[in-house]
Amino acid sequence: MKYLRGTSIVLVLWYALAWVLASPIVPFPHLVLVHLVKSLGEGKTYLHLLFSLYRIIMGMMLALFFAIPTGMVAGRFKALDQVVSPVLYLLYPLPKIAFLPIFMVLFGIGDLSKIILIAVIIFFPAAVTIRDGVKEIPLQFLELARAYHLKPRQILKDILWPAILPRIFSSLRITVGISLSVLFISENYAATYGLGYYIMNSWIMAYYIGMYSGIVLLSLLGLGLYIVIDGVERLVVPQSAL
Amino acid sequence: MLTISHARLDYPKHKAFDNFTLAVKPGEMVSIIGKSGCGKTSLLYAIAGLLPLSKGTVSLTGGAEACSIMFQQDRLLPWKTVLGNVLLGLTKESVGQAEMLLDRMGLYGHMKKYPQQLSGGEKQRVALVRSLVRNPRLLLLDEPLAALDEQNRELLQQEIKEFVVTKGITMVMVTHSIQEAIFMGSRILVMESDGIRFETENPYHKAGDLRSRNEFFALEKVLRAQLGGPA
Repeated sequence: MKYLRGTSIVLVLWYALAWVLASPIVPFPHLVLVHLVKSLGEGKTYLHLLFSLYRIIMGMMLALFFAIPTGMVAGRFKALDQVVSPVLYLLYPLPKIAFLPIFMVLFGIGDLSKIILIAVIIFFPAAVTIRDGVKEIPLQFLELARAYHLKPRQILKDILWPAILPRIFSSLRITVGISLSVLFISENYAATYGLGYYIMNSWIMAYYIGMYSGIVLLSLLGLGLYIVIDGVERLVVPQSAL
Repeated sequence: MLTISHARLDYPKHKAFDNFTLAVKPGEMVSIIGKSGCGKTSLLYAIAGLLPLSKGTVSLTGGAEACSIMFQQDRLLPWKTVLGNVLLGLTKESVGQAEMLLDRMGLYGHMKKYPQQLSGGEKQRVALVRSLVRNPRLLLLDEPLAALDEQNRELLQQEIKEFVVTKGITMVMVTHSIQEAIFMGSRILVMESDGIRFETENPYHKAGDLRSRNEFFALEKVLRAQLGGPA
């Protein structure tokens, strides 16, 4: 219901803009939606969607693979935090997209450089959020672990990991938007599949309905990712739904 | 069972307690009362191995693993169910006993609930079961019922006492309530930051009608005089 309301507002604004401008540059939403449904059924549009989805999911996984241990170590051990945090703060504000050419030289012009770019962008906010999550674990829980003689593995499994799980989902939610924007840019280079390529290719050919179909798909991809992240969170962090 | 000898504990900026010596026999139920800041909780934490002594020794039959502590706050992990909290750090072999204890505390129907879904009294009961399921030889209680209303407090006092007496568990409880100390303890100590100020046996502590006996009120009067003010 909440998504329906949001979609309706966007559609009304879109219709108003298309009606005011009365130009092929902003086609009416229904024309775009008809084209989108048709192209998903017959053309390669779904391949563009799948490639983008693949890159963004792989980017997220790769980012978390490094962000989780980095954040946990920095949050748990003060001495290491004094080394890790300054590095995070120095590199966090850098415009990672500027490094795309370097990534392409280092990791090739295929999927890997795009995935690594997304991963690097997600890594920093995720690592910082996870580190803060570990730091904010109430001392009394760690005291409890000591009082009940929990082994380090049990502390990790029963206290640290469940405490940072909601933080991991928050960081993913925060970074989905920026990841999609970066994905769009990265797919404009040396790509033949991906929504970024599809949108810009349509634009170059002045095929505006196609371009808007790609934009709608990118937006739906974002919405889908948010829904999946929320759903998985409800599944693995059941107390968050209480 | 437990021997504390000339113990002193210092925090970076102040002393918690000093010159504390105590020997607790197996099956004894010791209540410790004292004014705020006299180091009662620090003493309990030192016995549990959570705080290191600056001086003196704590010797516990069976080592630190033989004791289990129930804290003032329930300290239930919000991401674990009631059963998950009770079984913290234990293997699946303890499930049966956990279920039996939860049943005994009237929590059988709450096993799959999360702490956020329980009342204050229920949470403290879960915390109690969590400390009992470990089969401790020494049970340490740090003002465990302070946050409860009177009715729940008296009910839980009764349940803890029955369990501890039945199982022959040794107990050391810190409390600010003189009445609770008398009801629960077979021996009662009045603690000051420089050691034990006063100590008395409580021969009537197993009596069913303890709370209404004249001896209860007489002891309360003595302890209040020894405390010299609010605990």
